[in-house]
Amino acid sequence: MSVKVNRRKFLKMLGWGGAGTALAGCDMPTTVTLEEGKEEVVSYLMPEEYVIPGIGVWYASTCTQCEAACGLHGRVREGRVLKLEGSPDSPVNHGNTCMMGQSGLQSHYNPDRITMPMMRKSGTLQAVSWDDAMAELSKRIGPSSSVDGNRVGMVTGTVSGHQAVLVNDLLGQLGSKNHYVHELVNSSVWRMVSRDMLGDETPKLNFDKARVVLSFGADFMGTWGSPVHNMGEYAKFRKGDERGTLVQIEPKMTMTGANADLWLPANPGTEGALALGIANFIISRGWNLVDVPSRVRETLKQYDLDTVEKVTGINVEKIKRIAALLSERSPSLILAGASVENHENGYDSVAAIMLLNLIMGNVGNTIEASAKFAESSMQPKQGGTKDLLLLAKALNGKKLDVLFTYNTNPVFTAPDVLQLQTGLANVGFKVAFSMFPDETTLSADLVLPIHSGMEEWGTHVPAYQSEGAIMSFQQPLMEPINKDTRGFGDIMLSLLKLRGKDYAKFEDYYSFVQTSLLNMPSSIVTSTGSKEETWNSILQTGIIKTKGVTKPLKPKLVDMRYKPSAGNSEYPMHLVPTAKLGMWDGRHANLPWIQEAPDQIAKVVWGSWAELHPKKAAELGVKNGDYVRVTSASGSVEAQVYVHKGIHPDAIAVPVGQGHEEYGRYAKGRGVNPLKILNPLMEKRTGELATYATRVKVTNVHKTSKLVKMGSSEVQAGRKIVRTVSSSVYRRTEREG
Amino acid sequence: MKIVTLKQLVSMSLFALAVALLPATSFAELPVPSHVIPPVGEHAGEDVPQPIEFPHDRHVKDMKINCMYCHTYARRSKVAGIPPTSKCMGCHKVIATDKPRIQALTKYWEKGESPRWKKVHDVPDYVHFTHEKHIRKFVFDADFPVEDVQQVCGLCHGEVREMTVAEKTKPLNMGFCQRCHEANGGPADCWSCHK
Repeated sequence: MSVKVNRRKFLKMLGWGGAGTALAGCDMPTTVTLEEGKEEVVSYLMPEEYVIPGIGVWYASTCTQCEAACGLHGRVREGRVLKLEGSPDSPVNHGNTCMMGQSGLQSHYNPDRITMPMMRKSGTLQAVSWDDAMAELSKRIGPSSSVDGNRVGMVTGTVSGHQAVLVNDLLGQLGSKNHYVHELVNSSVWRMVSRDMLGDETPKLNFDKARVVLSFGADFMGTWGSPVHNMGEYAKFRKGDERGTLVQIEPKMTMTGANADLWLPANPGTEGALALGIANFIISRGWNLVDVPSRVRETLKQYDLDTVEKVTGINVEKIKRIAALLSERSPSLILAGASVENHENGYDSVAAIMLLNLIMGNVGNTIEASAKFAESSMQPKQGGTKDLLLLAKALNGKKLDVLFTYNTNPVFTAPDVLQLQTGLANVGFKVAFSMFPDETTLSADLVLPIHSGMEEWGTHVPAYQSEGAIMSFQQPLMEPINKDTRGFGDIMLSLLKLRGKDYAKFEDYYSFVQTSLLNMPSSIVTSTGSKEETWNSILQTGIIKTKGVTKPLKPKLVDMRYKPSAGNSEYPMHLVPTAKLGMWDGRHANLPWIQEAPDQIAKVVWGSWAELHPKKAAELGVKNGDYVRVTSASGSVEAQVYVHKGIHPDAIAVPVGQGHEEYGRYAKGRGVNPLKILNPLMEKRTGELATYATRVKVTNVHKTSKLVKMGSSEVQAGRKIVRTVSSSVYRRTEREG
Repeated sequence: MKIVTLKQLVSMSLFALAVALLPATSFAELPVPSHVIPPVGEHAGEDVPQPIEFPHDRHVKDMKINCMYCHTYARRSKVAGIPPTSKCMGCHKVIATDKPRIQALTKYWEKGESPRWKKVHDVPDYVHFTHEKHIRKFVFDADFPVEDVQQVCGLCHGEVREMTVAEKTKPLNMGFCQRCHEANGGPADCWSCHK
């Protein structure tokens, strides 16, 4: 017999039956008591005065889950870190954290952490002692080795502070100039345009002063700039005396797009034309607050409204509306992000967008000069995808004999056509500083297990400085979990000591950082009080406020060579490989909390999917859960369809981060990696990989299974769970009433 | 399957017999504070061998040391805490240094280690129990004399003054907690304990 139980019946049964069963269970010794004498309890030998078992002590540190350098407070109880929260003292995050920061604990306590050094012996990685590992390093790069500095390389994620100094000095000592800095999630093109047009790579953005934010694909609350900082600023923008208006133009709705008042998908790769069209319309009406030279006016004239509508697919009326909004509600803030930056015409599109900021008088108002950390060797070395291309070229050109990797996973993020894995085989000695067995680590010859961010000392200089130039301080929140991991800084010091005497006086990285911070010149910090007081204040707040250097912005125009991207009949669709807050570039795929957190738009968990517009889905004859094959000139992936209106009809979005071939039990073999099928296209003026430029065709493979996602319905079925009124009704009834 | 020797069988039956007789005999001896309706329930605890056979009876009954002298965190924290080894050595650097158990303790101290005690009283991780709130309600807020605190501790921990190493004599399960909360006006919300 089968009984059909629906939700309502289930709740009813739970109501009647639940009370009885729950109470009867209260005295069940087998389920609710614990066995005696099975667990151990060990007292402190001699506790510190302030330590009370059961009560946590909070320590200040810095988050290392992405490169924004948010301040953290970690709750430590009985010698273990149990909870992380944002540090209210940090001007980066003002006491907030994102889901990546919160799940830092799962990185630290991860069961897949590497616990022993490993060396490749007859083809496989085998555990070795630290003595053996260091002996091998000494043999390969020590003073008696025959290593050629030009043929040594190091690939890292963003590094700053004392780490940057050590990396720079080690490569300098070896005579190498090959430091590749790779970050898949970046705003490199925006930075280059800001540098060229404003004279500051990372200007300070005053969301709170803006009345309109017009964002061309900048997912500033998710993956652009300093997301947690931006979210706080966005709240001020929305909750000010007047509620700010957000307009988002992007091929696939991001979390920022989902918050927008007006969301528009321009034809991918034509956003620059839209910006120029808006600029042209504003200038033709005389709404611009800052004038432009006549040659620019002439160039802009090509972008009349009808032409722009034809190119971008955005209706003339909408373009006029955006232009009117910018003019009526000045000052505004106009941003450009990944889906614009990472096309072949990315630089020129962003330049066109920056032009809007110039003519609307935003520079000096909502966009200001930022303070930079005074010591240049500690400033962040920010990465992009240009160095990934350069690395692939060096590897395949057999230009490297020794390669160090740290805090980045190029084997995972590089498209197949770059043949990075094959190229790595040309390097005789690959050393990975790593916490986890990821793809890059497992192709190394020597794996050095490093401390987690919660076990190591460190300093971080945020790339985006909002209040003066600060340095964020990282202190261990507990003793290392594994006895055979070492700090990245400590290993770097040992390597530096192999060849030189500069670092001989420092016993370990801690003493190096401490000595350096307590002896910073007066050009960087104003010292007040004794060294002990200074050190205690650093430990307590986790923030070092420095003087900083601020140079005024120098707005100027760059030569414009904008061309919208062309069509492609064989591969009619645009592949949108989106990164999101959480999974980031795939580095957090090994954290169950991140896998479990539903995607902000599709609500899918633990896997990959492909977002398609309902029109396109109908054309292909697919619905939620059906598989499609996404084929580019460089390969193909298969993923389940998620049908959603928040995407351009000619685009298909496959999220980045899944599809790991290695990387531990939670990440390995889950979903697909769209980066693998990218074509090797370059942003023409910066040399960045044009990750959004790959064209694909999509085919129905006639296979289906349940799409694992939170929430089964996208509509309220008339139940008015969230009540809404149309804007016209609102205007009639609320505003004028 | 676990093999039980004759000796163990006999001792277990004797123990069971003793437990059956317990409510009538030894537990009655510890007075119940008049302001508390005691929780009902007994539990036949297992013998838990400890690294050092710590004599609670010697400290509590003979020396009249207050529970909270050693379990000092009970009034401040959710856990009562095993006393730090430094606290033991505070006295035993000079007291009873000829006894083998103290010599064993001193060895730990000299090695810079604490004994790895076996946990006897515990509640599951999904239960939020705090000693601090119970001590506050039944001792400090009730103006109950702190020198008699063992009567309050004994409500859940039994007659520790008669034990050497601790034994669990109360079930410490949800029914046990719930009945006491009902009788003494403790919170009845699920999320007071399950949070």
